Amino acid sequence: MQNAPIVQLEKVSKVYQQGQVEVKAVDNFDLTVRAGEFSVLCGPSGSGKTTILNLIGALDAPSSGRVCLEGQNLAELNRGRLSRLRRDRIGFVFQFYNLIPVLTAFENAEFVLSLQNVPAAERRKRVMAVLREVGMADYVDRRPDELSGGQQQRIAIARAVVSEPAIVLADEPTANVDSAAADRILDLMAQLNREKGVTFLFSTHDQRVMDRARRLIRLRDGRLEADEHRDR
Amino acid sequence: MMKLNKMAWRTLARNKRRSLITSFSVAFGILLAVTFTGSGDYSYTSMIDTSAVMGFGHVSVEAAGYNDRPGLARRLTEAGVVRKTALGLPRVAGAYARIMGQAMFAAGAKSVGGVFMAIDPQLEKPLHNFFLRSIVKGRLFDDTNGRGAVVGAGMAVKLNLRLGKKVIVTVTDKNGQLTSELTRVCGIFKTGDDSVDSGMVLLPLGRMRRVLNYGPDDATLVAVYVNDLRQVKGVRTLLAAKLDHKADLEILPWQETQPDLAGLIAVDRLFNYLLQFLVGLVIAAGILNTMLMSVLERTREFGIMMAVGMTPRQVVGLVLIESFWLGVLGLLLGVILTAPWFVYMSRVGIDLSRHIGQDYSAGGVLVDPVMKLRLYKESALVILFAAFGLTMAAGVYPAIRAGRTMPVESLLNS
Repeated sequence: MQNAPIVQLEKVSKVYQQGQVEVKAVDNFDLTVRAGEFSVLCGPSGSGKTTILNLIGALDAPSSGRVCLEGQNLAELNRGRLSRLRRDRIGFVFQFYNLIPVLTAFENAEFVLSLQNVPAAERRKRVMAVLREVGMADYVDRRPDELSGGQQQRIAIARAVVSEPAIVLADEPTANVDSAAADRILDLMAQLNREKGVTFLFSTHDQRVMDRARRLIRLRDGRLEADEHRDR
Repeated sequence: MMKLNKMAWRTLARNKRRSLITSFSVAFGILLAVTFTGSGDYSYTSMIDTSAVMGFGHVSVEAAGYNDRPGLARRLTEAGVVRKTALGLPRVAGAYARIMGQAMFAAGAKSVGGVFMAIDPQLEKPLHNFFLRSIVKGRLFDDTNGRGAVVGAGMAVKLNLRLGKKVIVTVTDKNGQLTSELTRVCGIFKTGDDSVDSGMVLLPLGRMRRVLNYGPDDATLVAVYVNDLRQVKGVRTLLAAKLDHKADLEILPWQETQPDLAGLIAVDRLFNYLLQFLVGLVIAAGILNTMLMSVLERTREFGIMMAVGMTPRQVVGLVLIESFWLGVLGLLLGVILTAPWFVYMSRVGIDLSRHIGQDYSAGGVLVDPVMKLRLYKESALVILFAAFGLTMAAGVYPAIRAGRTMPVESLLNS
């Protein structure tokens, strides 16, 4: 299904009410993301990057327009079905890692597979394989508060990719880690994209991430400013 | 259940102090409920038993109409048959034919009105007759046809009686004729209740049957005793079935023969339950507050869980599982905390005689001045289920709140 559209945004707008004032975070925005892409949403703070990721990730609903994931209009799904869609088809990597504090590194990585009721033996096999790929196989019993920021982010990546989602949405994944850790994380994501065909959509203003992107979607004031495809 | 159980446990363990305090409030609730219910069960049982052994039994088989308008003209024929029928039933511990009625008692120039209870000395047992247990001088008459009388200590003072002294008993027989009989004091009892001690006399059943012109198997009632008060209803039903061919009698539970006592207990029990309900409400509010705090503190966590695929229903389930384990922990602590207290209170109790005296009575019945606890199995189960249910109920609203978490808002706020 290489190059099949995974995400389609059609004339999407998102308006937030801040007191008496309406703030238009996304304005009449169109976007198609295809399978296997390694794309970046970039732009200054407030340009709508995170809002677009939240809309694609079914965490938020648009004020107008359509958001489709693999052809499914998200507006037609109730909260429970949206949760299952996120569980089965979307992987998230957050700026602040957002691991579950009461679970170990292994259990965090395993969490989505548990929700999917994957049998324990298969879960273990798949999680250990991914943890080895992200270089965290030796930290399986550590709790999040016993890991560095970079290590937590690698566990978050493992959690995002282990269920083989249609797309991984990464919101500023390098913002809170040091340069070395950021490079390792980006290498890892690029490798997963290249070798496993995982589709990534980033939001960032980190130049290192932009440099690696094969597609750069520039935003300004919630609108598309430029959409650059690069050959790599 | 995936990891929900494990996550719930770890969440509880993450804030051990809070979990322990919450569980202790459940445990404390159990301790209070056991104390309230146990003291009620003990004192009610004690009062009902005391009332029963003062004459009418737990179940009373009487001539029809005797309970509403007691009189010696209303008598139960074939009392022996009724007694044997009762004794043949399961769960019946004793049954005794008795004649109870009013009489005048005179000695020398003095006379007093009172109540007599005619009993068969060969059959009566102290376990089922409070007066036999309370004899302080002399003994019970041996011969059912003899002239012996056991009088209360108060009446002995009023009539200046001693052992061996004569007492004239004057009664109205079954035909309405006044008749007198000479008796001789062979024992004196003291129950501690002044009204009983000054107005009650035990007389031999056989002789009183003749005095009253009763048949050889007549009595005013057959008092039936059970081992356990909860069996009263069942015994009454069984007895009614066995005696349904006899239209001239009625079978009454203690509530009908002792309506004052039944009313007093009903009102006291109502206040007891109301108090327990209010205490439960306060404890439930405390648990609700703690659970809600715990949920509000974890809004971000719930947001993450839902963002990566947990459904709102699963989040609700997670919080309810936490409530479940808090409830289980509370029950365990409650049992550990309450068991020694209950054992002490059921065996030793707290002696209140310095405050209420030895002869405190309520509803016309002597009350044991030692406060003890007695808990029926059913009451214990109700308390445990109620405590557990309360904890679960207190978790419902926080669970719903957790399930309503909007992932995007919680993540943005974090």
